[in-house]
Amino acid sequence: MLQSLIKNVWIPMKPYYTQVYQEIWLGMGLMSVIVYKIRSADKRSKALKGKIFASSNGGERKTPSHLFRTRCVTAY
Amino acid sequence: MNENLFASFTTPMMMGVPIVVLIIIFPSILFPSPNRLINNRLATVQQWLIQLVSKHMLSIHNYKGQTWALMLMSLILFIGSTNLLGLLPHSFTPTTQLSMNLGMAIPLWAGTVVMGFRHKTKASLAHFLPQGTPLPLIPMLVIIETISLFIQPVALAVRLTANITAGHLLIHLIGGATLVLMNINPVTALITFIILILLTILELAVALIQAYVFTLLVSLYLHDNT
Repeated sequence: MLQSLIKNVWIPMKPYYTQVYQEIWLGMGLMSVIVYKIRSADKRSKALKGKIFASSNGGERKTPSHLFRTRCVTAY
Repeated sequence: MNENLFASFTTPMMMGVPIVVLIIIFPSILFPSPNRLINNRLATVQQWLIQLVSKHMLSIHNYKGQTWALMLMSLILFIGSTNLLGLLPHSFTPTTQLSMNLGMAIPLWAGTVVMGFRHKTKASLAHFLPQGTPLPLIPMLVIIETISLFIQPVALAVRLTANITAGHLLIHLIGGATLVLMNINPVTALITFIILILLTILELAVALIQAYVFTLLVSLYLHDNT
């Protein structure tokens, strides 16, 4: 399967992937940095909210932080 | 009612596995790429359409710009086919997701900007100041032009998302209203149904137009930078 992928995709598209789309790869790197920043900020804010919720409900009752992490359906 | 209205925009899952990747890949099945010189009717019509669109879209570009022909044609075919498939009832449209559209807009826009700065640095920097600007306005105009440059990918993505989402929502609302009105007042329901038909025709046009506008704008940004 890898051989057919190389023969049908990589060989015809090699000049595009290596020369023409160099700037687009850079743009994809920029986009992945933006995605990483947004996701890490979201994780940090959720962890902070969990801490605030836990401390407002009394310090003795230590609720595990994973209970406050809600799995967003539309998160990527 | 509110829950049902936005339910079609949530990422589809099947037994806990997101199947959005399959949905994104699906339109490629509708565009066969045979190796024959003379093809069947479907392939011939598709090739004729692609040739028509590419001739029209790439006529403004120089040699460097025309190396992006494959990218631009793939873009318009992907967005057009995804938008049209999204008009089928109960289907999920990937282009209603802002993340998806930003994922298309940012790399392409950044690619054109980096290409411009790499090959034509002076001309790219000159874009930040329109010709004939009065001297006192120069600092303000440079700031405005910089902001307008960085707004371009966001505008590209939000334009596509908003148009497709709004159309789908309208179809939902008017379809729901037609159903409810059928038991209350059949005449009003008929009028609403005619509006629904006209809206669906409009959404068919919007689906194709938005694909064309997205690709045309990327092509224009490329033209400015090559």
